[in-house]
Amino acid sequence: MTTTAPADVARTHRPGPHAWAALVAAESRMVVRDTAGLVVPLGLPLLILVMYGIGQAEDETIAGTGGRTVFDLYVLPLVLTIVIATIGVVNMPSFLSSYRRSGVLRRLSVTPASPAMVLVAQVVVSALQTVVGITLALVVATTAFGAHLPARPWQALGVLVLAAAAMYAVGMVVAAVAPTPNSSLAIGLVLFFAFGATGGMFGGTQNLPAAVQTVGEALPFGAAVQAVGAAWVGRPVEVSHVVALVAAVVVGGLISARNFRWD
Amino acid sequence: MHAVEAHDLHKRYRTRSGEMVAVDAVSLTAHEGEILGILGRNGAGKTTTVEMIAGIRSPDAGRVRVLGLDPQRDRAAVRQVLGVQLQSGSLHGALTVQEIARLFRTFYATGADPDELVTTVGLDDQRDVRYEKLSGGQQQRLAIVLALLGAPRVVILDELTTGLDPQSRRQIWSLVEGMRADGVTVILVSHLMEEVERLCDRVTVLDAGRVVAHDTPAGLVASTGLAQRVRFRVHEPIPAGVLDRVPGLEAVDVAGEQVTVSGSGELLQEVSTALVHAGVVATETRLERATLDDAFLALTGTPLEHQEATS
Repeated sequence: MTTTAPADVARTHRPGPHAWAALVAAESRMVVRDTAGLVVPLGLPLLILVMYGIGQAEDETIAGTGGRTVFDLYVLPLVLTIVIATIGVVNMPSFLSSYRRSGVLRRLSVTPASPAMVLVAQVVVSALQTVVGITLALVVATTAFGAHLPARPWQALGVLVLAAAAMYAVGMVVAAVAPTPNSSLAIGLVLFFAFGATGGMFGGTQNLPAAVQTVGEALPFGAAVQAVGAAWVGRPVEVSHVVALVAAVVVGGLISARNFRWD
Repeated sequence: MHAVEAHDLHKRYRTRSGEMVAVDAVSLTAHEGEILGILGRNGAGKTTTVEMIAGIRSPDAGRVRVLGLDPQRDRAAVRQVLGVQLQSGSLHGALTVQEIARLFRTFYATGADPDELVTTVGLDDQRDVRYEKLSGGQQQRLAIVLALLGAPRVVILDELTTGLDPQSRRQIWSLVEGMRADGVTVILVSHLMEEVERLCDRVTVLDAGRVVAHDTPAGLVASTGLAQRVRFRVHEPIPAGVLDRVPGLEAVDVAGEQVTVSGSGELLQEVSTALVHAGVVATETRLERATLDDAFLALTGTPLEHQEATS
C-alpha cells in the first residue's frame, strides 16, 4: 500500500491575497445585486439632503465659521452619519445573519477559508459602500446646494473612520445576537432609529430633554453627528464624543467576539 | 496508515427532554483509494459521524485522523486535502455558478479548473445562473464541484445524489468512480441501496448510533446467512439423486412443477449443469439473491427503504 507521511500532505497553505480579493469581489457583487439594500444607505441620506437643501437654499451663514451655514454644520454631518449607520447597523448584520442562517458560513468552514474571512470581507465592502455613499452625498451637497467642505478635513476624515468603526462594531453585535435574518433586520432598524432619534435625526438635539440629549450624545450616532459637525465648523472634537465612539468600538467588538455563532 | 481513521467516537446532544446519544463508540477506517459507504436510516448517526471526521463537530471522546492529521488541530492542512459535501449549507444566493466555483477555487493552493468541473457535473447551461435560481439537483451538483475543487485526496459526500433524477444520479456515480480510479478516498453517506451496492468497496452500517456491521456489500449479504435461491419449473419429476450432488446445495423444495433450490456458491450454474446432464428440461429459471436491503433488515430489524419512505 502506498501511503504518504503526514508531513507531506501538511501543506499548511492558507488562503492568500488572491482569495481575499476574490472574497471581497464576491461580497461586493452580493451587495450591488441586493438592489433593495442599496436604497436605504444611498437613497435615504440623499433624500434628506435634498429636502433640507431645497428648504434652506437661502440659509444664513453662521458668524465665525468661514461662511458656513446650518446646512453645512447640521444637515451634512447628519446625512453622513446616516450613511455610516444604515450600512453598519442595518445592512451588514442582515447579510451576515442570512449567511449564518442559510449555512454559507458553515459551507465555508469546510474549506481552507475560515468563515471569519467573510466577516472581514463584509466589513471591507461596507467600508467601500460607505465611501461611495459619503462621496455621493458630498458631491450632491457641494454642487447642488453650495455646501462647504469641512474646515478641518483630516479631522473630519478621522472622525468619519472612527464613527464607521463604531457603527460596524454595533452591527457585529446585532449579527451576533440576532437568531434570524429577519430579527437582525428588525433589531438593526430599531437601533438605527433609536440612535437617530436621540442623536438629532428628527431635529436638533437642543429641543430634547437634557437627559435624552446626554444619552444620545453618548451613543455612537449622536456622538458621530457632533464630532463630524465640529470638524466642519473647525472646532476640536469634544473628548466625550471620541470616548463614546471608542467605547462603542471596544464594547461592541468584545460582545460580538464572545457571542458570535457560526452556525 | 489508513486514509481515514475514526476510533471510538462518542457524541451526545442535549435536547429539551434530556440527552440524546447520537454516536456511540463508532470506529471506522477507509483505505486509500477506496469508497467506504456509511449506511443507515435517518437518525442513525451517519451525518454526525462524518461531521466529526470533517472536523466541523468535535467528538465528546474518540480520535479522528485524516491522512494522519487531526482535523481539529491541523485544520489548515486537512482543509487542503479533504473535500466535503454536506447535506446542509447554502451558498451566496446572488452569485452565479461560475462565480461561486471560481471563488472557492482561490481558497486552495492547488486544484482543479473550476470551469471544467462545472462542465463535468453537467452545469454548463447554468454557468451564469444565480445560486438562488438553481433547482435542488443543480445546487447538489454545485456542492459536488466545490467538494472536488481542491483536488482532494479524501472526499466526504453526504447523501450525494438526493434530489437528483436517475440519469443525473448515474452521471454523478460515474464521476465518483472516476475519483476512485484516480486514487481518491471517498466516504459516501447514503441510504440508497443501489448507490451503495454499485459504488462502495466496503460498507459500515450504523444503527442507533452504533456500528452494527462492517464488510463489503457482498460480504454483508453473505454474512447474514441469507442464501440465494434458484427457482425453475419442470414438466416431469427430476430423477432422484440429480440435485443431491450439486455443490453448495442446502435445500430443495418441490411444490408440484415448481422447484426451489437454495444454497451458496455458483448455484445457478451448478443446478443448470446438473439438470442438463440428467436430461431434465427446466423452464422459467431464475436466480433470487438476497439483497443489501435484506441484509440491512436482518442486521437492524427494520427495512431501510420502508423507513425512509415513511419518515
